[in-house]
Amino acid sequence: MTGIEPARREVFRQGQRAILHSLPGAATWGLVSGVAMVKGGLTVPWAVFMSLTVYAGSAQLAALPLIATGMPLWVIVATGLITNLRFVIYSAALRPYFAEEPLRRRAALGFFMTDFTFTLFMRAAQEGWLPARHRDAWFAGVCSNNWITWQASAITGIVAASYVPTDWGLEFTGTLALIALVGPALRARPALVGAVAAGVIALLAHGLPYRLGLFVAAIIGIVAATLADDWRPRETTVDSGSTS
Amino acid sequence: MSEPVAGIALAVVIVGLALTTFLTRTSFLLAGSRLRLNHRIEVALRHAPVCTLTAIIVPDVLMHGGAAYDFSLLNPRLIGTLAAGLWLCWSRNILGCLASGMIACSLARVLL
Repeated sequence: MTGIEPARREVFRQGQRAILHSLPGAATWGLVSGVAMVKGGLTVPWAVFMSLTVYAGSAQLAALPLIATGMPLWVIVATGLITNLRFVIYSAALRPYFAEEPLRRRAALGFFMTDFTFTLFMRAAQEGWLPARHRDAWFAGVCSNNWITWQASAITGIVAASYVPTDWGLEFTGTLALIALVGPALRARPALVGAVAAGVIALLAHGLPYRLGLFVAAIIGIVAATLADDWRPRETTVDSGSTS
Repeated sequence: MSEPVAGIALAVVIVGLALTTFLTRTSFLLAGSRLRLNHRIEVALRHAPVCTLTAIIVPDVLMHGGAAYDFSLLNPRLIGTLAAGLWLCWSRNILGCLASGMIACSLARVLL
């Protein structure tokens, strides 16, 4: 390898600049996730390990109350999986832009893709300011700045939270962060229908064996939201899934 | 309530979460181009996070620390949730949402 083509490097830098305006948002989420991980009961090394390997705020926050209450391992992993299902849609939408890239590069671009970076990429593509060549380098630039910002703020939150006494009750921040994720999405009627169904069933089915209540609630909620989506007038089709 | 997940089990959970995150993020990027997402499945996948997260939030707020429902306005977590929800009605600022929720919850714990 004799260094990177100057044109690619320039496009990579363009990508790094394109995400600058949303870095404060990424930093806030990283910080909150870091605090919530430690106050949710993880020690500093485990929290750092989770942040670096998983790199998915909502799945991490969803797992914390389940880890704290000693849920079965498969329940925690499966919950993370359902929380991450939206990434399947993102990866299907990105596929046409990166179909020509080698396998390892596609895997790397997928690993670093988040709600923030995906939304920015699709907006650039739809508004026509995505560079014609080296799109993968542009996306890599976007993702690198997002990753650095998120990890730095998460680790800051992890270390800072480890100095805060437990009796401040900060473990509730994790649940509040989930509320901040869900709340804005409820403005769309189908999401609201799904959330109400999931919430009610989660209470009613809480006593089911093997902690199946969580999944029964999630699946009934998803079915309810999908049905509500069918009934809504076509012209008001808005994206209700933006959880970033 | 059982003991928190720790040690080797915690490592398994974190590696499992990392793997499922990687697999969902790379799914279509790595799979063959003939795969297509059916519209209904796409709608269902889009609603999955909100429904799952709500199914986690609701018991965590209303049944915290026990098996019985606590709908009363003396439940500090419920008061914190209401404050955070009110905040979200007029602002999308996360820090404000967390601060209002934490302050309301702490005040309720101290005063009630």
